[in-house]
Amino acid sequence: MTAAAAARPESRRVAARFVADHPLLVLGTVLAVLVAITGVVERDYLSFDGLRNTVLFAAPLGIIAAGQTILMLTAGIDLSVAMIATGAAYVAGNQSPNGALVAILLGLTVGLAAGAANGIGVGVFRVNPLIMTLAMSSILVGLFTSWAFTILRGSTAVTDFIRAMGGGAFWDNRIPWSALVWAGVAALVIVGLRATGLGRMLYAIGDNPVAVRLAGVRAWQVLLAAYVLSGLFAALGGILLAGKAGAVDLQLAANFLLPSVAAAVIGGTSIFGGVGTYSGTVFGALILGVLNSLLTFLDAGQAVQQVVYGVIVLGLAWLYSWVTSLEE
Amino acid sequence: MFATPAAPARLWLRRHGWTAGVWLLLVVLVAWYATLIPKFGSFQVTSIAKNSLPIVFLSIGQAVVVIGGGIDLGVGGMLIMTNAAAAQLMDGQSLGVVLLIAVGVLAATALLNGLVGWIINVSKVPDIVVTLATGFIYSGFALMILPSPGGGTAGGFRYLFTGSDSGIGTNFWPAVVMVTLPTALVAQWLIRTRTGLSIYATGSDRNASFLSGVRTFRAKVVAYAVGGAFAALAGLATTALTGSGDPRFSIGANAMLNSVAAIVLGGIALTGGIGSVVGAVAAAIILFTLNPILTAIGFDPNTSQVIKGGLIVAVMMVAGLLELRRRRRE
Amino acid sequence: MPDAAPGPGNPVTGPPPLLSARGVAKRYGSVVALRSADLVVQPGEIHALLGANGAGKSTLVKILAGVIAGDAGEIAVNGAPVRPRAPSDAMAAGLATVFQDPALIPDLDVGQNLRLTRVDEAAVREWLGRIGLGDLDFDAKVRELPLPVLRLLDLARALAHDPQLLMLDEITAALPADQAEHVFAVMREWKARGRSVLFITHRLAEVMRICDMATVLRDGGNVATVAPSAGDQQDLVAAMLGDVVDEAAAETATHAVPPGAPVVLETRDLRSTDRVNGVSLRLQAGEILGIAALEGQGQDRLFDLLAGDRRPDGGEILVNGQTLHARSPYDAIRQGVVLVPADRLMALLPQRSVRENLAAPLYNTVGRWFGLARDEKERVQRAIDRLSIDTRAQRQARRLSGGNQQKVVVGRWLAAGFRTLLCFDPTRGIDIQTKAQIYDLLRELADEGAAVLLYTSELQEIPLVCDRVLVLYGGAVVDEMAPLAATEEALLTAAHGLARPVGRGG
Repeated sequence: MTAAAAARPESRRVAARFVADHPLLVLGTVLAVLVAITGVVERDYLSFDGLRNTVLFAAPLGIIAAGQTILMLTAGIDLSVAMIATGAAYVAGNQSPNGALVAILLGLTVGLAAGAANGIGVGVFRVNPLIMTLAMSSILVGLFTSWAFTILRGSTAVTDFIRAMGGGAFWDNRIPWSALVWAGVAALVIVGLRATGLGRMLYAIGDNPVAVRLAGVRAWQVLLAAYVLSGLFAALGGILLAGKAGAVDLQLAANFLLPSVAAAVIGGTSIFGGVGTYSGTVFGALILGVLNSLLTFLDAGQAVQQVVYGVIVLGLAWLYSWVTSLEE
Repeated sequence: MFATPAAPARLWLRRHGWTAGVWLLLVVLVAWYATLIPKFGSFQVTSIAKNSLPIVFLSIGQAVVVIGGGIDLGVGGMLIMTNAAAAQLMDGQSLGVVLLIAVGVLAATALLNGLVGWIINVSKVPDIVVTLATGFIYSGFALMILPSPGGGTAGGFRYLFTGSDSGIGTNFWPAVVMVTLPTALVAQWLIRTRTGLSIYATGSDRNASFLSGVRTFRAKVVAYAVGGAFAALAGLATTALTGSGDPRFSIGANAMLNSVAAIVLGGIALTGGIGSVVGAVAAAIILFTLNPILTAIGFDPNTSQVIKGGLIVAVMMVAGLLELRRRRRE
Repeated sequence: MPDAAPGPGNPVTGPPPLLSARGVAKRYGSVVALRSADLVVQPGEIHALLGANGAGKSTLVKILAGVIAGDAGEIAVNGAPVRPRAPSDAMAAGLATVFQDPALIPDLDVGQNLRLTRVDEAAVREWLGRIGLGDLDFDAKVRELPLPVLRLLDLARALAHDPQLLMLDEITAALPADQAEHVFAVMREWKARGRSVLFITHRLAEVMRICDMATVLRDGGNVATVAPSAGDQQDLVAAMLGDVVDEAAAETATHAVPPGAPVVLETRDLRSTDRVNGVSLRLQAGEILGIAALEGQGQDRLFDLLAGDRRPDGGEILVNGQTLHARSPYDAIRQGVVLVPADRLMALLPQRSVRENLAAPLYNTVGRWFGLARDEKERVQRAIDRLSIDTRAQRQARRLSGGNQQKVVVGRWLAAGFRTLLCFDPTRGIDIQTKAQIYDLLRELADEGAAVLLYTSELQEIPLVCDRVLVLYGGAVVDEMAPLAATEEALLTAAHGLARPVGRGG
């Protein structure tokens, strides 16, 4: 091989190593470019008012995607998050007359129960996560559709507190409360993944389940914890969505299932497990949020939006895979 | 030096037990259904056969992809896309033109999804991520082609799938043929031809396939192309059934989830290489037939859905336990 | 076959060799698998490719067979340069290979496997008849056939392709003696037809018997090409092992296990399906007990049972005198019994850091999930220091060299603490220096009072490391030896289930 021929792959490798070592820089750039483009399209966007809408969309998505990220780290996936979110919102709406605290806690209970069921199915009975959570989603659709006319009949409007939490803002209506909730979740998840034994085991089980078993870890315990966490985050995301909308309906979170996976994928979390960070997912959710705003300003409609989502997910996933292969 | 040869009957049962069991279950369910309703005749048979066509086709496509070691979350998107395209293009056309359009839609979708298989090979991005993305894109295309429900098709085309020009009737033959013929063709193609076997081989053990000279790249592309063709067929069947197009995202998402559930219940391993299209088709019809049965028993549709989901989980849990016990004995 | 034309720029005098490979090299990241290997095979020749584990034999074969691409080097068949990029290319060039792992699809039946590769079924059937498998059921699923049958089926399929050169990678390792004879007969016939065989094996006796030439690799390069004859077996061994034999032999010394040391691990008539058939053994604190066995004599299952990874079908395991009822490895680990498994990739978290790998066992109970162990850093550092793990590539364990990966796998137990170490072939495919470090460590650990159960596939190492050796055959202990008596020859004899010659060993 001549020196010149050798040099080019070498510089490519350096570039790949750079991308691999600083994924957030790349995502940050993509985000900044998108924000700039949106600013060009719509002058008013680059203001607290304009950006607020993006955050109001991205916060529930990012929170739901937190669970998705945790599960993808274990090489799992949760296709029931949208229905868990909707169910939690429904319960929260129904319980709103009893006060915000009761409404929120009972809403979260939906996530706890559904997540625990998912965790037992996947962790103890070794049901494929795709099938388990899919079936769970279908069960929840049935349950809440029929409960909407029976035990959950009544209030579909949520209390003012939840409304403020999901749609309101503070500091002269500049910063949404939901951003604050999201920041709390993000801190918890980022620190938890990095600096707790559970975080270590979540990564480890996705990286090599055999190794984890041989280290004396009982996989079902880790998986159960992961699915319960995912359920809880989905429920919290659903309650924020209800607050944003002001009232609940059965389609509330339907359009958040695939974007929750997409946010994690864009953020660099591997669907095969063991690799990824929640900070990446936060950027993923923000990117999808800005895209949502941009496409709304462009009056592009759902069709274009979906195509763009698809292209972004595919493009970034391809980039990550290319980087990994060059690194070898 | 061989393991003691098992009795032929036991061997057959071990090989095809799951498939046979699923078909048996289907027969039992239909028989049960017949006793539940006042009159069971050709109208009901036609109804079951034709209405399960979309999920049957979608499951065949999903089955081929999964047997080849992949998974296609984009089949639902393809279904609504082809449904939208067919309804949009076929509206007001003569039967000849309609058939041409059908063939064109089929071929185009197969090509498009073959390209998806190519992307998976080249990019080395996991199947599930690529097809998640293409699912979005297909759904977007569907909305671009047909922004709101509408469109139409020719009566003769509806006859082809439903046995009547209006989509309602008692002639069950076309629908039954539409279920059995593609099933038999694909099943035979998979286990008799080199290309079909190479799909099984790629899904079963990609490394061993490569070592024995199988072109695994090509096998994957072919599997996705066939998957695309059957998703298109599902879309065309939907067009014939409803006589119109509906591009709603949720329809595609539900159909995709059902296709995955059907193949797993039908005995196809999500890890690839194991199972048969024949079992998947029976499971797909079962998933559909449970609806009228549960209605006949007196459950409302929502409770039915809960029961269906619960059944899927229960079956998979039992399968998981059996697999665990089998491994312990080895 | 294409006409044999001399390649351009390749002046030939006389007929070109059937296969010539020059300067073939391959590296994986920082690990050099093959430095520079040359190989020349003449028509009508049975050519042995020899070398210790990790010498690069399999890598060379895989490059010739088109499984992996070499980084450098030239390959020519009958003088015409070839660059096989897939196994099908190599096959088209007249090279057929029987790989170490069967290249058969587990979920298809035999007939479907043959149809898949476009091979003449009648020819396969005929070859199967000659190697004693004439009655093989073509409807049988490959998954349900025993390994020796699969190797022979692979061989028959390769022969049916009618190749110029047949490459056999360790084909006799999994075969009983009578079937190995069938294979030798076929090899001789192939030679009589003017075709050639490249034969990779560990068994020198086989090389002496049937090979015309032998190429010896060591550390990824050629060290000798010789015509084996009865006299120079020792020369071959010396060429394969280099200076290691002498160096290592100098360290041979017997260590006395302190009398009255407690028995920390004991099994009584342990059974598991047909793999383990009544194993009883006792392991004392401070002792390194060796297990010697050929492939597939139940040693892997025995280790699984002891590590709590599987429940025995009969018999019992006692840890410190208490019966162990392990539902998962956790229960064994809690009793201080820990496993270093056969394949280091089984125990490695390839995408996680060295630190996370070493600390993994610290978090195996829910109670320790809510933070990180306060002394994690010290524990990890102690393991790194003690094993002198090279932490330059510590961000992802997969970037470490094989030897360092193995150290990480052993090191996690140094960080977590243990009483009994089960070591399954811990030195397979790693460099000599790391090997020595690991053996030194095992000795140190034993001196500190730990008990070690060691299985190694490299028999010559057993007397150097162990205080006592048990020989396993057919899932049962057939012999016990003191280290001085455990010569490679004595071990091999016993490991084949044969009685030791009188007057030797003991």
